[in-house]
Amino acid sequence: MARSAAAGDGGNWSAVASIFERNCVSCHQGDRPKGGLSLVNATQALRGGDSGTVIVPGRPDESLLLDLISGEMPEMPQKARPLPARQVAEIRRWIEQGAPWPENVTLTDRKLAGADDDWWCFRPLVRPEVPVVDSDWVRTPVDAFVLAKRQLLGLPKSPEADRRTLIRRLTYDLHGLPPTPNEVAEFLADTSPDAFDRLIDRLLDSRRYGERWGRHWLDVIHYGESHGYDKDKPRPNAWPYRDYVIAAFNDDKPYWRFVAEQLAGDVLYPDDWQGVVATGFIAAGPWDYVGHAELREGTLDKKITRSNDRDDMVATAATTFLSLTAHCARCHNHKFDPISQEDYYRLQAVFAGVDRADRPFDEDPATHRQRSQLLHERAPLAARQRLLAAKAAETVSPEIRQIDERIAGLRKELAPLGAKDERRAAFEKSLQEQLTAREAAVARSLDDATRNETEAVAARLSELEQQLSALGQPQWVYAGAHDFTPLMTFTPAVTPRPVFFLYRGSDQSPGREMEPGALSCLEKLPAVFELGNLQDEGARRAALAKWIIDPHNPLTCRSIVNRVWQYHFGRGIVETPNDFGHMGSKPTHPELLDWLAVEFAERGWSLKRLHKLILKSAVYRQSSQHDPAAAEIDAGNQYLWRMNRQRLEAEAIHDAVLAISGRLDLTMRGPSVRQFWFKDDHSPVYDYERFDIDSADARRRSVYRFIVRSVPDPFMECLDAADPSLLTPRRNTTLTALQALSLLNNRFMVRHAEHFATRVRAISQDPAEQVDAAYELALGRAPHTSEWQALVKYIDQHGLENACRLILNCNEFIFVD
Amino acid sequence: MRRRTADSTPIRDMAVTPHSRREFLWHYGGGLGGIALAHLLGEAGMLGGEPTPGTTRVSSGDGTAPANRPLQIGKFADPHHPARAKRVVQLFMSGAASQCDMFDYKPELIKRNGQPWDPGEKVELFQSSPGACMASPWGWKQYGQSGKWMSDLVPHLAGTVDEMTFVPSMVSKSNVHGPATFMQNTGFVLPGFPNMGAWVSYGLGTLNENLPTFVVLPDMRGFAPNGPGNWSSGFLPAVHQGTLIRPNSRNPIADLFPPETAHYINPTAEREGLSVLRELNNGHLKSRAADSRLEARITTYELAARLQLSAPEVLDITQETLATRELYGLDQKITADFGRNCLIARRLLERGVRFVQVWSGADNGFPRRNWDSHEDIARDHQEMGTSMDRPAAALIKDLKQRGLLDDTIVYWTTEFGRMPCSQGSKGRDHNPFGFTVWLAGGGVRGGVTYGASDEWSYRAVENPTYCYDIHATLLHLLGIDHERLTFRHNGIDRRLTDVHGQVIRELLA
Repeated sequence: MARSAAAGDGGNWSAVASIFERNCVSCHQGDRPKGGLSLVNATQALRGGDSGTVIVPGRPDESLLLDLISGEMPEMPQKARPLPARQVAEIRRWIEQGAPWPENVTLTDRKLAGADDDWWCFRPLVRPEVPVVDSDWVRTPVDAFVLAKRQLLGLPKSPEADRRTLIRRLTYDLHGLPPTPNEVAEFLADTSPDAFDRLIDRLLDSRRYGERWGRHWLDVIHYGESHGYDKDKPRPNAWPYRDYVIAAFNDDKPYWRFVAEQLAGDVLYPDDWQGVVATGFIAAGPWDYVGHAELREGTLDKKITRSNDRDDMVATAATTFLSLTAHCARCHNHKFDPISQEDYYRLQAVFAGVDRADRPFDEDPATHRQRSQLLHERAPLAARQRLLAAKAAETVSPEIRQIDERIAGLRKELAPLGAKDERRAAFEKSLQEQLTAREAAVARSLDDATRNETEAVAARLSELEQQLSALGQPQWVYAGAHDFTPLMTFTPAVTPRPVFFLYRGSDQSPGREMEPGALSCLEKLPAVFELGNLQDEGARRAALAKWIIDPHNPLTCRSIVNRVWQYHFGRGIVETPNDFGHMGSKPTHPELLDWLAVEFAERGWSLKRLHKLILKSAVYRQSSQHDPAAAEIDAGNQYLWRMNRQRLEAEAIHDAVLAISGRLDLTMRGPSVRQFWFKDDHSPVYDYERFDIDSADARRRSVYRFIVRSVPDPFMECLDAADPSLLTPRRNTTLTALQALSLLNNRFMVRHAEHFATRVRAISQDPAEQVDAAYELALGRAPHTSEWQALVKYIDQHGLENACRLILNCNEFIFVD
Repeated sequence: MRRRTADSTPIRDMAVTPHSRREFLWHYGGGLGGIALAHLLGEAGMLGGEPTPGTTRVSSGDGTAPANRPLQIGKFADPHHPARAKRVVQLFMSGAASQCDMFDYKPELIKRNGQPWDPGEKVELFQSSPGACMASPWGWKQYGQSGKWMSDLVPHLAGTVDEMTFVPSMVSKSNVHGPATFMQNTGFVLPGFPNMGAWVSYGLGTLNENLPTFVVLPDMRGFAPNGPGNWSSGFLPAVHQGTLIRPNSRNPIADLFPPETAHYINPTAEREGLSVLRELNNGHLKSRAADSRLEARITTYELAARLQLSAPEVLDITQETLATRELYGLDQKITADFGRNCLIARRLLERGVRFVQVWSGADNGFPRRNWDSHEDIARDHQEMGTSMDRPAAALIKDLKQRGLLDDTIVYWTTEFGRMPCSQGSKGRDHNPFGFTVWLAGGGVRGGVTYGASDEWSYRAVENPTYCYDIHATLLHLLGIDHERLTFRHNGIDRRLTDVHGQVIRELLA
């Protein structure tokens, strides 16, 4: 089978072949090519078609082909956008050079799916007009867009939810916690017209906000704190990234900067320690310890391990920031979207020099800068030293051979001796002597230049180490790293590893080496990055960051605006937040999405402003009540004729139970709390049943939990917490029998029902008042008479603990209206 | 609305008396809740463990499902084509079980034992450089009408060869335990994909709503590489995830009953409490019309109660005769653990659990507690092989004598095989180029071998087969077209078989 010509070389043929394959061959091939012209091989192409010769080698002006594809209204390609000028120029240059077409090279149709159909998400962002709607219901432009759509469909609107519902909804939404009885009372008492708006401001100003919304971000990027796979080792230094994310939300870091830092903060902001910590994004996903650290260099499986690792980085970056499924183009061009396999491997090349490992940083700017400079010098030297050492290890001489025999002999003598055998000391001393002698012998056997270099490198490294240690102990973060302490066969790349185009995605079928770049389907943005120095891996990531946050990239703002909308309403304007392509859902309110995206970009990419734009709307305040007439038209509530009732996420249930029972510890930051028993074995053991549920570590917010990949916390998992092995742009919400059992019987739930009871008992000894207090704490309202009667009776007979356990199992606790 | 009723054949025989049920509930974690619910549900005529008319409604819980859609009805309640099998039990040998020490007989290897090994190509191994040819430390004999060669390590399985189809031409995409174990479980070398059991649950739903659809019995010494990630539902709804049962632990199913410390949860408190809860939830529901999730969640408490009743009964192997327990090797220390899990697997299957996965082998720690015999194959495979052989053979025989083998597939697998050459002097390194799996029952031909490895048992040479083809074949036997069992995730219609897989017609009876 003839391979795509893109793999060939010589002049600009490969670029031209690619243009033909993507734009022309689909029609100009086969037994009956269009216009009688086939462009699959040199003979047929040069022969021409019904209109005669189209390519005259060396004479572009006589070549009909160029007339057909250029000009105001080019004839070709038919029913498609004209070729960009640079591609026409490329073909012209190729013809000038004599139209070299390597022998035996056959082109195949590699037209990109969806390239010609002007798909919504690739269109430039233009501010849409806010619809003019005549209604006093409208509070903000958001409402105008939603109402216009609803009026079009004949949908009614829902009344505003009552104020208890509003404060409960908003507090869970922004904090993932229930409002306290005092907060509810204050809000109810505040009759000023802007009470709700001020509540929004207050909640956004609280640090609880970052903990809640930071957790959403950790879902999207599949943050975990162990490697996953076999021998699932913990990542004790992953947490600074989690704290970075929480702080970024709380400090309202502009989203463009948030994106840029996570991809290349270390390169773009070298003086800011947060730039290093932010690249925890790159390292967030799973990592195959055995494949990276135990497999030998040069083996096929090592290559596969690295390909899979880069694939995870590409998939995470493209889905998170662009809402595109670039990873679908690993084995072939994307089947539905205009993403070529080359685009995909260019993205892989962006991550060609970066691994996942611990990196030092210092919160003191001066120290951070100094350490960075020293490390920058050390990295290539350390690599050189490894190379020299490997060379030395292969050195043999008669002298070395003799010493090796003596070493082997001594080891043989030592082997059978017990640890306390008195003969050991003498043998060990001799062994040490021989090892030292061996080093000297190796040094003697090296040529002068090598020996001198070895010494010079060692000397400079030792100076650097001294200077580094003089700076004191740094902090560590598990992040994207190009310089780190080797672990068995896991060593830094130093310069980017070559990334090849892989036919069918197979490491056994490499094609040409790829340069870093991004997607080719965005008109104003380059597909290949223009980099001064290809050896600088950081420059590759920085270029991708700039490509993503470029004002001409319409995907980035649409993507984040949609995510924020989704968490507020339970469903995005685009229902598939990680896929804006042809296989994803289309936006229900495309103009609203674009309006929000433009507003967002123009208001400094501020997430807090975006929240306010959305939350201050009348849409957000609607009741979640059913309306049969509306349901008749729009049963799924796509057009927001009411608010969506939402089941609380695992973290919100967990944290609310702590808050209600009075046990919540609001300490922020720091190493994650290990809510399991841990044994750091060859294969580590994580056992949640052996965790002390009464310990201080049990009381922190769940965003501070240590997240194990291979053995997830069964309680949280049962409640649909995100699986850190998966990118989770939107959680499943299931209702299962095992969930009911967990909420009834899990020791966390049972123990906190007891704490809840203790708290209520401190308020009153009288069951009649206890029911009131428990309802206010858990549900933010007073009980109805029938509820009150049933529970008072139940407390009388079976005690307060049992009653508190029931309340925490109520639908009303689990769902937010 | 479609309804499924419990598979009625075997359950009636297994009814237990209230007295013994009470005992088990107490035994397994002080299960007062269960007793209370037994009463509650008894009144409602919904006692677990007995065939129930499809009265229970549940929802997939994603909020988008039509109201009252039964939860456990699979996506393909009507199969794509007539099914040959209803259930699957998968025996997973973790750590890589050696094909050339059990099933893949190679006279050449015996002849050249100790001689330098030269397969005529560069061999890239996981840990080591290829050593000399190493014959199996066990002898070989032919068995059954099919005359299949089996080693002395597996004498009991040798007795059932005419029920089994062997595939000695398996290949894996990875020679690293983690990715390769994922591959055999999910079809992908990466984490985050659903186990075949989860796909089957998603596709076919349950046969008995009182029990989980997909159950996993791990090796009692610990989890295999990847841990519970192996039986994850991935992107499928969590209800399809493998439910972990640890029969030898104090709480065989997590959270089935309240912790013993909660003394105040007594039978009456539980019974009356759940009735109050129902009352509160019904009151809440009344003012919130047309939200099927609220009703569904009320129903989950009823389902939970039925699970509390059914599960302890299934796990109670004292109900089995002495002869049956001996058949599975419960009378001997070495076979007792895997034997008990195989026996419980049979009890789960006959009560309508769709997919049971039984693990032999824990993590890759030391001393060896799985099949990863790099150091000493004779020592370490002796123990693993002996512990597996008799129970696995017993499962086939027992299912057969109960008439269940006809529609139950027994599927024995491992993540990859081991090399025919030595590692060190006594061990064997990983071999992803050729290994053996076998199947029995459920529409699978017996007494045949599909494909072949080379003269060394090194490389699959005839009909090289990936797990995709095995998975496609298993789904086919269950009535599912593997190309049509899909779930949209992150822009891709995902399948168990990715973009691969062909039904192996030669395996079908």
